[in-house]
Amino acid sequence: MTTPLLEIKNLHVTIEGKEILKGINLALEKGQVHALMGPNGSGKSTLSNVLMGHPKYQVTGGEVLYQGRDLASLKTDVRARAGLFLAFQYPTAIPGVSVVNFLRTAMKSRFGEAFQPKEFRKEFKAAMAQLGIEESFATRYVNDGFSGGEKKRHEVLQMALLKPELAVLDETDSGLDIDALRVVAEGINRLRGPQLGILLITHYQRLLSYVEPDVVHVMMDGQIIQSGGKELAHELEAKGYAPYETEKAPAP
Amino acid sequence: MDKIGALKGEAIRPAAWERFTALPWPSKTDEEWRRTDPAKVPLGEVELSPDPASLRVGWEEISPKLIASGVILTDLVSAKKQFPELIQEYLMKSGAPEGLAKFVALHEALFSQGLFCYVPEGVSVELPLRSWVEIAKDRAAVFPHGLIIVGEGAEATLVDERRAPGGVHGPIVSDEMVEIFLKAGSRLRYVHLQKWPPQVVELFTQRVLLEKDAHFLNLTMGLGSTLSKANVETTLTQTGARADLLGLFFGSGRQHFDFQTLQDHRAQATTSDLLYKSALKDDSDAVYRGLIRIARQAQKSDAYQANRNLLLSQGAKADSIPMLEILADDVRCTHGVAVGPVDEEQAFYLMSRGVPEAEAERLIVGGFFEQVIQRLKLKELEEGLMAQVSNKMNKGDPKE
Ligand SMILES: Nc1ncnc2c1ncn2[C@@H]1O[C@H](COP(=O)(O)OP(=O)(O)OP(=O)(O)O)[C@@H](O)[C@H]1O
Ligand SMILES: [Mg+2]
Repeated sequence: MTTPLLEIKNLHVTIEGKEILKGINLALEKGQVHALMGPNGSGKSTLSNVLMGHPKYQVTGGEVLYQGRDLASLKTDVRARAGLFLAFQYPTAIPGVSVVNFLRTAMKSRFGEAFQPKEFRKEFKAAMAQLGIEESFATRYVNDGFSGGEKKRHEVLQMALLKPELAVLDETDSGLDIDALRVVAEGINRLRGPQLGILLITHYQRLLSYVEPDVVHVMMDGQIIQSGGKELAHELEAKGYAPYETEKAPAP
Repeated sequence: MDKIGALKGEAIRPAAWERFTALPWPSKTDEEWRRTDPAKVPLGEVELSPDPASLRVGWEEISPKLIASGVILTDLVSAKKQFPELIQEYLMKSGAPEGLAKFVALHEALFSQGLFCYVPEGVSVELPLRSWVEIAKDRAAVFPHGLIIVGEGAEATLVDERRAPGGVHGPIVSDEMVEIFLKAGSRLRYVHLQKWPPQVVELFTQRVLLEKDAHFLNLTMGLGSTLSKANVETTLTQTGARADLLGLFFGSGRQHFDFQTLQDHRAQATTSDLLYKSALKDDSDAVYRGLIRIARQAQKSDAYQANRNLLLSQGAKADSIPMLEILADDVRCTHGVAVGPVDEEQAFYLMSRGVPEAEAERLIVGGFFEQVIQRLKLKELEEGLMAQVSNKMNKGDPKE
């Protein structure tokens, strides 16, 4: 058996003393797309932030292995340079820092010696064009005053340029109009391939009909309570989370 | 202070000298000096003299066309000889400053050299004018005096630097004053770039008078010196005058900045918009005290004041004291203060893209200052000023 790209074992996480993740298990192979669905507040963004090493969460149990390596001791920037990427549900604004300056710095950090400053402009412009982002975007401040859709495109733009090996996309489809959704989905599909694993967090079947998942997980109250094929997403769309609520209810 | 007694005969303006000697040495119990120890001004350790050679004033030559249109950029000693009527009309005519009394008196008694800039009525100077004042003497008190006059409907940008390229020896006290006159409908963009070497203790006074519909866009940038205590006063004397007052301070080591500002609205429908920001590394600290004063007759005026401080280490400290004195009832006025470390979410976002923590902090600090500098709305200046910030950011950081 090969080592999975990502392996989460019995992960417990608290924030400010409150337990949010209560024993998550998940294994994702290279080249796979896994969808993660679940009601509001079930802990999906908590999981993505923990994967990226956000300092405000405490891992109280279990472990996360990335390419077989325990992530616990690795700082956020080290994880990113190792190929981990998170498209944020709510990207942070950084006033005063332009998109182009930010992305140049990010790519320099990610690729080190291999970064080619001369190629950067060209690559950057091409990636923007593919996502239907106007050139004037380059000089705007990072996420500052971006519309919901602009924020999401900007996240996918970064993913395209930083070429991760594992991408967690946290509701990258929410807040997008139909056309934008297609553009973003196409952007994701272009990057999809044997070298990339994707964890796709979404509330909607819509995105999954563009980006077909290999596996669908359902998360409730900090646990993955069911995993299955793509038909599971259809089922959820039809019936909602109610059947799972009752299933869970008798637990002591 | 024996030296001071011995100097009496040398004072250029004896009445000011009398005022200086009569005023008590500032005390830590004075509100103005509560956060800056007056004992740290080493007046007893430096040579006090009105010697114009203690300063070197320089500027980029202006074009023959500008000279022909009457624009003057020169040093004060030359200006006194060549343009006595202008000097007579404007020098020390900007009104008595409300702060730093003892040092203003000393300055007045002893200053002889500085920058003189005059833009005649109706003349627009397209390219930024550039000037600098350098310290040319060791262990001295220096008294730069700037005099800037922008005639009716005239326009100019002046970038005015303070520096000592060869370095200096021993303590230096710079006791400076800049006077600026904006005539009706004129427009001046004035960047005061303070890059004194670390031996310098600075007292700085700026007095600006704006007439009808004049627009003053000011950036005071404090990067150098060990201690800088400043008083920046802007008086909107006539209707429609507008002042955009920007400040940017970047402290490291044990640098101490103490800034006091006055937005003095004396006429109807005047506007002032102040944004002062400091980023503080190591054990540096900043004090900001800002007064908005709106006179009874200054109805329909707008006054804004914001002071933001970024603390980049445990040892850094910032104090911010906004003050309002509003006698008119139909005005808009807001003020805001923020003091805090680098935003954790911003740092996390950058780091999640592979940017190391120190580099993320540099980006955030750069952005923090970029928001001030971009308000100058002059691209060709912005890059150079941001480079000054980066330069300060990159040096004196032993970890890198
Ligand atoms: N700082 C915090 N303090 C306390 N509780 C928090 C904090 N941050 C998040 N939580 C809680 O953690 C739980 C999980 O939140 P999370 O954002 O992970 O949910 P989610 O599944 O991503 O929801 P959504 O679908 O709405 O995005 C929620 O109940 C939330 O209120
Ligand atoms: Mg979420």
